[in-house]
Amino acid sequence: MPPEESPSPQNQHCFQRRGFSYDRAIKYFFASNAGLTIVILLLIIVFLLKEGLGFFPGYRRELEIYRIAGLEFVDISRRNLTAHEQLSSVLNRAYFAEINGQCARELKRTREASAVFNSFSDQTSATRDLIVNNQNSGLDPNSEMLAALRKNHAIQKEKALTSLPATPHLTAAEREQLLASIRTRDATATDDPPLVTTLAQQYAAAQQQCAKPLAELRTVIDSFEAAGADLSTLVTEMTDAVTSTKEALQNADLLEQNRKSLLAAAANAKDPTERRKLLADAHASLAEKPDIEGPMRALMRRQPDCSATHTALRHACADILARLPPSLSQSDANRLLRAANKATPLLLDSLGQAPQQITQWRHDKPVPLSDAIRSFLTGKDWVTGGAWQDFYGILPLLIGSLMISFVALCLAIPAGVGAAIYINQFASPTEQSVVKPVIEFIAAIPSVVLGFIGILIFGTVLRDLSQLDALAWVPGFPIEERLNMFTAGCLLALMSIPTIFSLAEDALNNVPSAYAEASDALGASRIQTSFRVIIPAAFSGILAAVLLGLGRVIGETMVVLLVAGNRIKIPDFSAGLGSFFQPSHTLTGIIAQELGEVPLGSVHYRALFVVGILLFGIVLGINVTAHKFVSRTPN
Amino acid sequence: MLNPQSLIRKGLPKGHFKDRLVRVLLGATTYFIVLIAALLFAKIIKDGAPVLFTSQAPYVDLGFLLDKNQTLHVFDDAQGVRHQLPASAYNDYLKQHEGAPIYNPQTFSYSGGGIVGPIVGTALLTIGSMILALFFGVCAAIYLSEYAKQNPFIHAVRLAILNLAGIPSIVFGLFGFAVFVLAVPVITSTPSDRSLLTLPLFIGDYMLSFQGWNSSLMAGCATLACMILPVIITASEESLRAVPQGFRDASLAMGATRWQTIRKCVLPFSLPGILTSSLLAITRVAGETAPIMFTAAVAAKDDLPWESLAHPFDLLSSQVQALPYHIYTLAARIPASEYTRRAQYGSVFVFLILVMALSLGSMVLRAKLRAKLKW
Amino acid sequence: MVTDLSDNPAAPMATAIHIRDLCFAYHTKPALHDVTLDIPTRQITAFIGPSGCGKSTLLRCFNRINDRIPGAHLTAGSIHIHGIEINRPDIDLQELRRRVGMVFQKYNPFKKSIYENVVFSPRLGGIRKRAALDELAETALRSAALWDEVKDRLHTSALALSGGQQQRLCIARAIANQPDILLMDEPCAALDPTATLKIEELLHQLKKHYTIVIVTHNMAQATRCADLTAFMYLGKLIESGPTLQIFTTPNNPQTLAYISGSFG
Repeated sequence: MPPEESPSPQNQHCFQRRGFSYDRAIKYFFASNAGLTIVILLLIIVFLLKEGLGFFPGYRRELEIYRIAGLEFVDISRRNLTAHEQLSSVLNRAYFAEINGQCARELKRTREASAVFNSFSDQTSATRDLIVNNQNSGLDPNSEMLAALRKNHAIQKEKALTSLPATPHLTAAEREQLLASIRTRDATATDDPPLVTTLAQQYAAAQQQCAKPLAELRTVIDSFEAAGADLSTLVTEMTDAVTSTKEALQNADLLEQNRKSLLAAAANAKDPTERRKLLADAHASLAEKPDIEGPMRALMRRQPDCSATHTALRHACADILARLPPSLSQSDANRLLRAANKATPLLLDSLGQAPQQITQWRHDKPVPLSDAIRSFLTGKDWVTGGAWQDFYGILPLLIGSLMISFVALCLAIPAGVGAAIYINQFASPTEQSVVKPVIEFIAAIPSVVLGFIGILIFGTVLRDLSQLDALAWVPGFPIEERLNMFTAGCLLALMSIPTIFSLAEDALNNVPSAYAEASDALGASRIQTSFRVIIPAAFSGILAAVLLGLGRVIGETMVVLLVAGNRIKIPDFSAGLGSFFQPSHTLTGIIAQELGEVPLGSVHYRALFVVGILLFGIVLGINVTAHKFVSRTPN
Repeated sequence: MLNPQSLIRKGLPKGHFKDRLVRVLLGATTYFIVLIAALLFAKIIKDGAPVLFTSQAPYVDLGFLLDKNQTLHVFDDAQGVRHQLPASAYNDYLKQHEGAPIYNPQTFSYSGGGIVGPIVGTALLTIGSMILALFFGVCAAIYLSEYAKQNPFIHAVRLAILNLAGIPSIVFGLFGFAVFVLAVPVITSTPSDRSLLTLPLFIGDYMLSFQGWNSSLMAGCATLACMILPVIITASEESLRAVPQGFRDASLAMGATRWQTIRKCVLPFSLPGILTSSLLAITRVAGETAPIMFTAAVAAKDDLPWESLAHPFDLLSSQVQALPYHIYTLAARIPASEYTRRAQYGSVFVFLILVMALSLGSMVLRAKLRAKLKW
Repeated sequence: MVTDLSDNPAAPMATAIHIRDLCFAYHTKPALHDVTLDIPTRQITAFIGPSGCGKSTLLRCFNRINDRIPGAHLTAGSIHIHGIEINRPDIDLQELRRRVGMVFQKYNPFKKSIYENVVFSPRLGGIRKRAALDELAETALRSAALWDEVKDRLHTSALALSGGQQQRLCIARAIANQPDILLMDEPCAALDPTATLKIEELLHQLKKHYTIVIVTHNMAQATRCADLTAFMYLGKLIESGPTLQIFTTPNNPQTLAYISGSFG
């Protein structure tokens, strides 16, 4: 830097700086580049808020329409109807689980036989269709071409016969019989091989056999299902009425918006004729206030009817459900029965409260802004683009993100930290020079490639693995969906291992060597030194590594978008640990999936930005905490 | 001493088995990670390499690398022979065999032809964003390492860098969409309806309209540059700080100005380090999908970016295909079947090879640099 | 040349460390040549010499802490501690280091509480009972003349202590093992004169119970503390004997040159 200013300006010493120097200009140029980072961060915050904050008023208006059009009123009944339907579906599943569990052997046998035959049909169907087509089109059946096709078919058949799925529950003789019937089968035959038919018949017979003692249960379930019919009719009738009111309200809102923008344009227009035209348009666009009182009165007239239906349904349900058997013989069926028993009091409770809710409901109760915020933060539904009503509840997405991160960290923390300890404390230099680059390579794999691997390879491998009988004890196995939270969590674990590994290794490396020396000199063995001195000293650094890994996992998009299964629903926690094998959606995934399809400026569009703000906040919080830990490490 | 004999141990050392157990457990964990990585690479190489490499000279299927991406048509002809043809070849076939019947026709989007479009698009995005990020990043790093003193401004800059580095890529996507696609100013004579603000420029009809660049190469490059900026700044600052203080002191002592010192005595020595670490940044830029999904990338495009342009500058404002987005499309939007495997595994293989080559290059260069530069 | 320090007529003593023809090297670079020396029990022996003369290396051979350095190895000779050759392969290293405590040049307490620092090695030795540990900690801290200063804040961080206190804590940590021999590698190099004085006073207390070997570059310190002094130069033991004799009537001209400040 140039030397200090001299005290008197008249005294122009040769060291004195004159005017604005070239060097200073360069300094300010560089400083402005550094300031760019602040500008970008501010721009991110400002634009997220600009696009996102409009969400809450917009959502409040949607909720208001939801109320004054009476949709909310209908939803009181609809919720109970859905709960009733879900309970009957659970009972049905329990019933079939019981039957299928009892004739599991027949079920497996018929499935395996069909799988063999289907696999064969899939592999030869193209040529087979050609032969059939050719014959039907009236060609001479002995023509040269048909012969060629038949030859082709024979080759394909031989090839297919070598790659058929395994049949562990069929005897060798049975399999041989099945293969023989396939081998001798005519290309144009349409009937199933005899063994497939026999096994299907055996299965059906076994089912009937097992169903007999369960006839009582069947009647209970059937009568339970039938009890909901009245409520269902009522809901359907009311739905039509309120939907038209809602549409009228929404159209009025659109016209009003249009009018406002026209007026604004008119105020800015310079040309008087254009201004007049815009103003005229604006007046034309003045919406007539839609009639909401009339439909509402009609709806309110149904109140007593509604209450009565609920009370009746409650009595019917209580009676019917009391007749359920205390337990079933199959563990799966028992689990479902327990779930049904747990859900029963909830349903009865909800049905019992419904009449009171119905009479107390008021369509003109105001909807404050806080309701919109609460509905966003604690809402259990994220429903968009539906005909009924859009809801923007963050919980299903947040829970999905958190559960996937939990799986990922459960795998990545032991692996990443363990590997860091091994490499830093126990590995030879050769091992270090092999393992470190490999882990760096993992870090360089783009996330979309990991997602690709998940969707095409890992998901299938995991599902096949889960169907092994030997692994049936794992909760949630066999898994129903190939793409689920566990699959996504595994891949994210692989992705965060390099982050956790290299930061944790740095933290271990930064522990002063004097610590290890002192510990050695005090007579500690190698692992005592590692586990009692070095790892505790690096603990805050390792914690920071884990937190930064968590930040990376929560913010990751492509893997979860491809692999998590994208079902927007709070997982069914009654499955215990198995709930990790259900598909879900995530905060990041929803933005990536829906932003490309929403109209600019709509409430849905703004909702995605609010999700972005939330994500930004979460990750920022994690990173700031992590950096607090980093600054606490020695040296 | 009470009993000198106690110094001599009997049998194995104390805690020998515990020590062994800990080592084996931790070692198994470590090599499990290595094994998973190896399996993963092996699987992709096994399925992807046959797409790219052939058994005859020139041993590389140039068609896959140099052809445009097309829809794949699969059908049987009357002889029962199965054909797999990309759209252009399919049309030729139809012309040649007019009237011939076709059986079991199936189409697979994005699965025919090659992947030159995505490769070129990714290259353009990477080059564009690296030029921007390197320019601003190195300048910012020079300020931080050469001029900065402890003051609130520097504190704010460091905080901003730290926070920018942690922001999830999808949030950068949102930011790029809201800012570069919808809000940055353009000079135009016909401002769009959704322009946030228009300012007259008093040159002809032209106005400065804050209406954004739409989804375009420009917007994508800018978004990616913002995302990678903190990485470049941190790496460059490290390289600049690695130049010994003595070099600067000597130059300043001889009467050179700050800028002359930086230009002659600091930058030349730190440049290799900056470039090496920016190779690693390239792998990240090339691999990101989320930020370009809404700002630049398009799933299908018939022309290469520079073809059928009215004006060369239109290159910047046109959408491009990109390799990571292409892979996303192949994985998410089309069902896996034996006819799509070539496109799927081939693209992933090529992409992985490119990224690994960059990453390996950066590793090798860094090792060389460490060996060479010992001040 | 065999120098038996126990020749001192004032106190006929047993030999604690018995070194014969010791040669030591880092990879191929030799660091010690044919060092032969006997170190008596319950005395303070000082190693002096210019930087890089091998005095620290020699000290670090006594508890084999040199094993930590890759490539460091004994090339010839032997070290017996109370009659046991400590370089034999079946030596219990942990036990050896517990019997031969060490204090380093730069005080290095762990980032734990004062109490945890002192009881670190007793805990490793398998002592779990709280009362026993408390007693050990108090004894060790009293022996290191630190008890009165820290008894009210035993469970606060050791790194909050002053430099001199931290070094005395390291001494307490080393003697909590109840070792026979205490090795000190320039223990006052990082301390101010007041703290140095305290440590020197402490050394006089400790020598009643322990054999102390101290490396110092400070000749005044050697004259103040040590009963015996050995002068080393370029990896060789040049001369050793009672401190007074070495500093007043050295036999070797190199010793004379060094103590008179001609080099070093």
